[in-house]
Amino acid sequence: MSVTSPAETAARTPFLKPLIWALILFLCVTPFLLIFAVSFGHKIEGASWEWGFSFANYQRVFVGASWPDEITFLYLQKLYYSLYYAVIASVLAVLTAFPFTYLMTGLSRRAQSAWLVFILASLSLSEVFIVMGWDVLLSNRSGLPMVFKETGLTAWLKEVGWFDTLREWGLANPRNVKFKTSVFATVLTMAYLVWPYAVILLYPPLSRLDRSMVEAAQTMGAGPGTVMRTVILPSVRLPLAGAILLLFVFLLGVYVAVTVFAEPAKQTMAVSVYEAVRGNTLNAPFGAAQAVVLLITAGIFLVLGQWLSRRGTS
Amino acid sequence: MTRMNRRTLLKTAGSVAGMAAASSVIGTPLIAQERSLKIGSYGGYFENSFKEFVYPAFTEATGIAVESVTQPNSTDWLVTMTQATQAGNVPADLSLYARDTMIKASRIGGLLAPLNTKAMPATSNLDPYFVFEDTTGPIGVGAMSWFSAMVINPEEVEAPTSWAEFWDSSKFEASLGLSKNFNSQFLDIIAATFFEGEATFATKDGIMALIEKAAEIKPNVALWWSAESQMEQSMKNGDVIGGQYYLDVSNLMALDGFPIKPIFPKEGNPQDYGSWCLSSISDKGDEAAEFINFSSDPATQALMSRKIGTAPLVAQSKTDLTDDEFAFVSGTPSIKPAYEAYLDYETFIKESWDKMLAGA
Repeated sequence: MSVTSPAETAARTPFLKPLIWALILFLCVTPFLLIFAVSFGHKIEGASWEWGFSFANYQRVFVGASWPDEITFLYLQKLYYSLYYAVIASVLAVLTAFPFTYLMTGLSRRAQSAWLVFILASLSLSEVFIVMGWDVLLSNRSGLPMVFKETGLTAWLKEVGWFDTLREWGLANPRNVKFKTSVFATVLTMAYLVWPYAVILLYPPLSRLDRSMVEAAQTMGAGPGTVMRTVILPSVRLPLAGAILLLFVFLLGVYVAVTVFAEPAKQTMAVSVYEAVRGNTLNAPFGAAQAVVLLITAGIFLVLGQWLSRRGTS
Repeated sequence: MTRMNRRTLLKTAGSVAGMAAASSVIGTPLIAQERSLKIGSYGGYFENSFKEFVYPAFTEATGIAVESVTQPNSTDWLVTMTQATQAGNVPADLSLYARDTMIKASRIGGLLAPLNTKAMPATSNLDPYFVFEDTTGPIGVGAMSWFSAMVINPEEVEAPTSWAEFWDSSKFEASLGLSKNFNSQFLDIIAATFFEGEATFATKDGIMALIEKAAEIKPNVALWWSAESQMEQSMKNGDVIGGQYYLDVSNLMALDGFPIKPIFPKEGNPQDYGSWCLSSISDKGDEAAEFINFSSDPATQALMSRKIGTAPLVAQSKTDLTDDEFAFVSGTPSIKPAYEAYLDYETFIKESWDKMLAGA
């Protein structure tokens, strides 16, 4: 704590507060308003777009461009996959980071800070880099499929007939197993991407957890499962839900992992937004409309999550 | 780039300051009094080859210094140039546009300046198809062309004689790599293989027939690539054993020993080309004309074929390319993409194609 209180500082610099507000408005609200305004624009077929005021782009998001002659839920399908990957990957990341972080907080101070530095350092890896790494790991000649082939696992799978099942699931071609493109690879990479964040988000509540409560429960005869269920989990329920929500929102916008690991039928709205704005059609208004719908959906989920966790505490 | 700057610098200013600037990468302020031109080209191997072979030859011939500018591709570049033109300051005087992007730029209007073809006598070597005129005059002159060819992994499959064999699941189940992009000319291949070619694009029903045919190949496609590097990696790794990919890059990969072989099946491969287009707010029209003239010269076309792997826009007989060299970068027949239809039915084709991919 500093010696001067915030009120005193504000009294001495009367312009500071409005200045900060102006900055926040400019940095956060302007881009959003711009996107919002663009989303009502009009696409000129074969060229670019112009400013306008029509709801055609929003209509297209829900029923497609040829409505009412024809109806398609193509873009809602993309929205569904945005939510699908984000929910699964964020839950997966938090569920796996939780035991790790719990065990980590039981280590010595020195070991804890070593782990934290390592995890913070891994955040410097960009999405592109991580996707590249997993791409290599899952590739036919350099990754997991090669291991399958060399260890004889592929031959064994073919022998017992499970290989055909894998082919039906799209996880094999006639020669070997394949993990790209698949939901498995997409979710795995996305969970990996946010895993360090999950640890960092869970670390403060778990390190504040009073270990004597755990010991007390144990001396009273509670097994590890019971301790986890009745002591640890209830006390960190809110941070857990908060971490999942934050990672969920973060994952809604993932682009590289989805373009590389998901087949076109299972790609997300973020990819569709990018294609509309920067792709061959130069349809920024349609991209903006999709972005607004995605944003509103994320907002609804956040409010819902907040409401659920508040209801859980009361 | 570094080498070229150093050479021009040593020629003009032998001062201590000049030497100091030469050791830095860009010595632009010192050569500002010279004639110069900013030229955009697709980044990576392509741009590097231009910087190493084409620009130095041009500077030697004309004394005009070239500053190379990296373009990600032509569509993204069109967005950049549109915004830059509005802002009144463009990153490049001349840039490369694929034909569809150039037509799009022409339809948007106000982005490209008409070229003075009288100042470029060498353009007469080119087929008139490669000099694109709109209502304002000639706005693009062909720079070089490229094929996106059928490729296979020769260690895994025998060379097909027709594109139709890619639909055969007994050979290619979950094994092909095709572009995810609706206008990457796969529809042109289908039109040439199963329908009446470009004429099929004339109606929406025709286009739907093409897309329905494309839907039938989906079980054989393991990768719908959006970035070139994805296809490159997948061919190298054996994740896919065939598909559609650039002829020049495939040949280079094959030279490096990777299992890839480009093929000209009986229907041919789609041929696309890039044009030099001058920004409407550039004041380097004269320098640009000299460069386009230089680029249209059969000797330069041959140089690009040899060093960059692009197909020449002039007849082989006008160049000194050997048959082997020519076959490395070009072939017959060539499928000419239905550029206008892709633009006239833009939203319709894009959404129908995406629906086909998504199964929605």
